[in-house]
Amino acid sequence: MDRKSVIKWIKEPGKMGHKYSLWAVYFCTGCGIIEIPPVITSRWDAERFGVIPVATPRQANLFMITGYVSLKTLKAIIRTYEQMPEPKYTVAFGSCPINGGMYWDSYNTIKHIDKYIPIDGWIAGCMPRPEAIFIAVTKLWMMIDKGAATGYIRYRKNYKFYRRNQEKLFGELAWPPLYPIDEKEDESE
Amino acid sequence: MKVVEFVFSPFLAFIIGVFFLGLFRKIVARIHQRYGPPIIQPLLDVIKLFHQKGFSHGVLFDLGLILSLAGSIVVILFLPFAGICPLKSSGGLLVILYMMLFLPLGIALSGGEGANPNISIGISRKLILSLGYEVPFLLIIISVMNFYKTISIVDIVNSQGGFRWALFSPLFFSGIAYFMILPAMLGIRPFDIVSAPQEISSGPQVEYGGKYLGLSHIQHAFSIFITIALFVNLFLGGGENIFFFFLKMLVVFVSMVLIHSVFPRLRLEQALRYLWRWPTIFAFLGVIVSQIMR
Amino acid sequence: MRVNKELKKRIEKIYKNTQVEFPEANRMVIKTKQKNLLPILEFLKSEGFRQLKAISCVDWIEEKEFELVYQVASLNSPLHIMVKVRIGREDAQMETIMKIFGNAQVYEREIHELFGVKFRGNPDLSPLFLENWQSIPPFRKDFDTREYVKDVFDKIPNVESENEKS
Repeated sequence: MDRKSVIKWIKEPGKMGHKYSLWAVYFCTGCGIIEIPPVITSRWDAERFGVIPVATPRQANLFMITGYVSLKTLKAIIRTYEQMPEPKYTVAFGSCPINGGMYWDSYNTIKHIDKYIPIDGWIAGCMPRPEAIFIAVTKLWMMIDKGAATGYIRYRKNYKFYRRNQEKLFGELAWPPLYPIDEKEDESE
Repeated sequence: MKVVEFVFSPFLAFIIGVFFLGLFRKIVARIHQRYGPPIIQPLLDVIKLFHQKGFSHGVLFDLGLILSLAGSIVVILFLPFAGICPLKSSGGLLVILYMMLFLPLGIALSGGEGANPNISIGISRKLILSLGYEVPFLLIIISVMNFYKTISIVDIVNSQGGFRWALFSPLFFSGIAYFMILPAMLGIRPFDIVSAPQEISSGPQVEYGGKYLGLSHIQHAFSIFITIALFVNLFLGGGENIFFFFLKMLVVFVSMVLIHSVFPRLRLEQALRYLWRWPTIFAFLGVIVSQIMR
Repeated sequence: MRVNKELKKRIEKIYKNTQVEFPEANRMVIKTKQKNLLPILEFLKSEGFRQLKAISCVDWIEEKEFELVYQVASLNSPLHIMVKVRIGREDAQMETIMKIFGNAQVYEREIHELFGVKFRGNPDLSPLFLENWQSIPPFRKDFDTREYVKDVFDKIPNVESENEKS
């Protein structure tokens, strides 16, 4: 962990800042929300990594999808994800977002969340333990170092395909497109 | 020389404010029996926030925040800090009393442009709370001005040289009253109804993201510095050099953190009932006692 | 027990085509026809059974019928009463019981969404948690969830593969 090396802070303050102060939106999906309070309270302390929960998506950096996602929850997740300022990172917990998990033949849950929201990292388990969550945070740091955590860039470039997948599932969407489709990138929100 | 003082004074206030914010999180974490973040964590947060792309809701949204930040910087220029005081010969206590209200009013102006009802609720709570602590605060200021017969803070500091602090003089009751309303002025428990994360999604800061939140953090650091420095100057004798001034501020701040980590949050009418009862009684006593024994 | 047996005698005397049984202690099952349902529920409410606990639905697919079960109880007696009514499976319709028990509105909305039974007189029968649903109601026994998943979810393409193609 190179939080103490002053030279790196002077050369690339943006990248080091994104690593060592990840603020997570306190969004509760599915079963995994029972694993988040132990992570942020006294026994397994997440604040020493710089991770604190914040109340609104406008102040947040990190989005954790903790568990299975039903159709109504997916609408709320998309709207919350589009409100976060860039650069933003998403991490998916458990086996339900990966391939459906225990609900692989259910009529109301999403099987692969990667088709609707870009995901940077996956954590296996049902639910993963807090130690696994901390290993995921350190792996996310290494990815940000190499420049491989590019979920938000992929969302911006392939927005046409993401939006088409969302419209196949929900019909007409109630919110306008975040980036203008078939034009140069220009934020319209 | 004067130009150096003008630039140096807000910069020093920023460093001390950020250090106090980090110390706050570290002490609270140790009381919870866990390791906390490193002490420079608020500085890392501010660096991260300035590298994010925030959304703006209009021109007034930006200008309100800049107005509030400018008000804080001007108040710092009027406050003596161990012998450094750029604007010592004009106004003094009366100007500080007036300009300290720029902080919530600036945020109210920017919050009117952001289209979120949580902002209006948060800022109305902040203004009602300042109505609560302004009543004993004005009585304390009147008693201090009456006792030392001046409105210039530098003269008040100079006449408390050595160990003749105002806290040990007939102004004892006013000092106690000021210590009782300090948590309300700082915005910590039991009076942190203003920025309650669970109730109103952190109140006035709910629509800030990116660089606006960074400016809001800097302004929070400034307001901590202003409140504690004013108390140390008026009642604890200022300081001959920076080291003793900083030591006195540290003692006051650590006692505030210990109060914060023990108490729950009071509702707004409970807070007003407290602020208009006991601190006001003590401030009245202070006015009367200091007038009799002058 | 004597009170319950008296209740059974009174019900069977007043309403025709009704059978009352006691399968266990403190459980009473009343099987009746569709036209007797509202009078029986009003009679039970006037006897003191004022709480509607739930409305459930059973899909008897071989007999081609739906069975609606109305469960009522009282705070003064340990007896739990279930009133069972059978309706046809094709174009299933039923009269609402909102005039007697006001909280039946949500239960009827759920049964309409999941089984497809229409309730005449219910002001709001919109779906509770299904979004953009275009197939038969999912709790019926002839609904195949694996076919539905293959049809709807597996046909949505991955984003990266589309990008590589274009």
